[in-house]
Amino acid sequence: MEKLKFLSDDDVKRIHNATLRILNEVGYVWTHKQSLEILTGAGCKVKGNRVYFPPELVEDSIQKAGKRTAIRGRGGVTKTLGDGNLYFHNLGGARDIYDAKTGGHRIAELQDVRDSTRLLDALENCNTITPFFTPQDVPGELMSLAMYRHALPFTTKPLQGPGVQYGPETKFAVQMAEVIGNPKEVLTLALSPVSPLTIPDHEAEAVIEIARAGVAFGALPCPTAGATGPMTISGSIAQQNAETLAVVILAQLVNPGLPIIYCGRLAMMEPRLGSSVWGGVELALASAGTIQIGHHYGFPVNVYGFSTNAHVLDAQDGFERGLNAAIPALAGADELSGIGEMEAGVMGSYAQMVLDNELADSIQRLRRGFSADEDALGVDVIAAIMDGSRNFLGQKHTMKYLKAGEVQLTKLAERNSWETWERKGKQGMVERAVDEAERILREHQVEPLEPQQEKELDTIMAAAEKELVKKR
Amino acid sequence: MSEELYKEMAQSIIDGDSDISTELAKKSIELNMHPLDSITKGFVIGVNYIGDQFGKGEAFLPELVMAGEAMKAAVAVLEPELIKLGGAREMMGRVVLATVEGDIHEIGKTLVGTMLSASGFEVVDLGVDQPADKIIGKALEINADLIGMSALLTTTMVRQREVIEELDKEGLRPRIKVMVGGAPITRDWVTKIKADGYSEDAIGAVKIAKELVGKADQ
Ligand code: B12
Repeated sequence: MEKLKFLSDDDVKRIHNATLRILNEVGYVWTHKQSLEILTGAGCKVKGNRVYFPPELVEDSIQKAGKRTAIRGRGGVTKTLGDGNLYFHNLGGARDIYDAKTGGHRIAELQDVRDSTRLLDALENCNTITPFFTPQDVPGELMSLAMYRHALPFTTKPLQGPGVQYGPETKFAVQMAEVIGNPKEVLTLALSPVSPLTIPDHEAEAVIEIARAGVAFGALPCPTAGATGPMTISGSIAQQNAETLAVVILAQLVNPGLPIIYCGRLAMMEPRLGSSVWGGVELALASAGTIQIGHHYGFPVNVYGFSTNAHVLDAQDGFERGLNAAIPALAGADELSGIGEMEAGVMGSYAQMVLDNELADSIQRLRRGFSADEDALGVDVIAAIMDGSRNFLGQKHTMKYLKAGEVQLTKLAERNSWETWERKGKQGMVERAVDEAERILREHQVEPLEPQQEKELDTIMAAAEKELVKKR
Repeated sequence: MSEELYKEMAQSIIDGDSDISTELAKKSIELNMHPLDSITKGFVIGVNYIGDQFGKGEAFLPELVMAGEAMKAAVAVLEPELIKLGGAREMMGRVVLATVEGDIHEIGKTLVGTMLSASGFEVVDLGVDQPADKIIGKALEINADLIGMSALLTTTMVRQREVIEELDKEGLRPRIKVMVGGAPITRDWVTKIKADGYSEDAIGAVKIAKELVGKADQ
């Protein structure tokens, strides 16, 4: 399949050059002493609170960086980003949970972290899991770590770390990963620098910590075009690229060859509100552009896929996430995020996760395209049936291609006649998804951790609590 | 004559054109118009109009921000004149604004700040990640009427309560009123932490702020 491209080769070069200028002439707000020493040691200049990166250092770091990132689940399955396949994972860090049955919503708690992980464990298209909800019932300082700790027992799939912001937090996350294996193999971590072009001290410290631990790393800047990035998609892609590369440079200086996941979270500002648009199709354009830039450097790329601004599972939700997943997939994304997402990343729901699992099938089907070789063209078969049955139903050719997946089968989407649909209880896709989510949560069991492992995790959490939670 | 000029003043704000609003402010001084009239009968009309339009979803946020800038530019020209005349523009109130400790979400808070200053409040924006003692310290230093706190994370919402408790402990309320905001903030939360006011957006923030300083009708 030809990759879908919105940027010409010249455009890509121009964006790269704009990025070099941003890094070299505009500079990056950076005040963390230890990392500044590392950067100036490599030729960066510091003036006031900004650091300026020489283009050679940028190019050199891109060159050095690891371009394939593998992550293994405790069940033994390894997923390698950059192997040419498209993978999916869920949204991380949703605040609220939507109850598709009642139409209400509430703030998520620890139990939702456990349940969502167990549900995603059962959904075959969710290849890796990111701790989904930000639980309200733990102290803020422990939130990210608690997300990881309570996701661990409920999946054997590769489990990505939570978004981290602090050095000590990173240290504890790595310790917890050690309980299930070598952190370099079983963990990836992501961190969001602040747009525009700013990294708080504690985040710079966390980047050093991640790089030292040798854990595959994704920088996740989230510029909002028009508010914290230029209004244009191309301008914001360049700024986002600069934001990503700056932290990649630090990571590579600390640990040359560290595997990098190139991530894009660029969204547009809704000009009538100031909020982030995750449902508009510009997100798909921005993601497709991000993929082209990341691939230009040879990185595997992770962008939004399933995303919407909708609050309910309705037509808006369906068409927004369909478009936003299809276009980056066709542009060659290595990984799409967003399974279960609603309300621009603020909310998630179990029914949505099940729906996205089915949508992911269609996206994979789209990516597979179709063959036009001699056998597929089937002129002989056409000739044969014209002399016989005059239809293709009884042909081996037909079955061969059906078995190969020429038609993607659906579980939740409706394809029956009105009569059949009526007889079967007139359910819509959403109702079926609600039932399916309930069924999975009722039935799906996950191989538990060893009691010893549970104990170790508790010990680490207790140590984290002692070190991180402020006495009030 | 001055009617025409007032209209142009309002329009310069609606167009978000600081150059023109500055020009018009200077011209009004040359023409011996009272600076207070220029503000209230001219420029403010523009701010109110754009604010209304934004509230209805018919103006864009950047227009609102640019209108705020144009307003500031005009007021900067008129203010010294006003002082010379022995008056001062009646200031709505002094506000200390910040995103709470541990939280670096900035956009919403900045927006609220822009709208408050465009509406005649004196705003000291401390920025993001601000601990309680900084916020309260600043409020005392400038003799603030109001503290505005933004929190975008469920984990940092609690900091709003800490500031309020601290203020209560020091006996600083009701002298200093507190309004809160940010995406996870709900009416329930506001009641629970005993904040004085809250709003879901920047336009509402101005309305609440005016109420809290007892100038709801202005
Ligand atoms: C942009 C963004 C960021 C940017 C912020 C950049 C910046 N310079 O501000 C970056 C990338 C840095 C970031 C980081 C993080 N983020 Co963030 N972020 C967002 C995002 C996409 C948009 C927020 C925004 O700007 N909204 C637009 C403004 C205009 O709206 P607003 O802030 O609500 O403000 C309006 C009102 O609330 C009100 N208001 C606001 N303040 C005040 C104050 C007063 C006094 C009043 C009266 C009114 C008022 O008026 C405003 C104007 O209408 C949201 C998701 C979303 N779709 O909203 C996530 C989101 C808020 N982030 C989230 C998370 C988890 C994080 C991180 C923890 C992620 C991580 N692990 O790294 C970090 C935390 C960093 C920190 N310590 O604060 C979660 C929160 C979940 C939760 N449990 O609360 C969200 C919901 C998304 C998600 N699923 O990840 N984020």
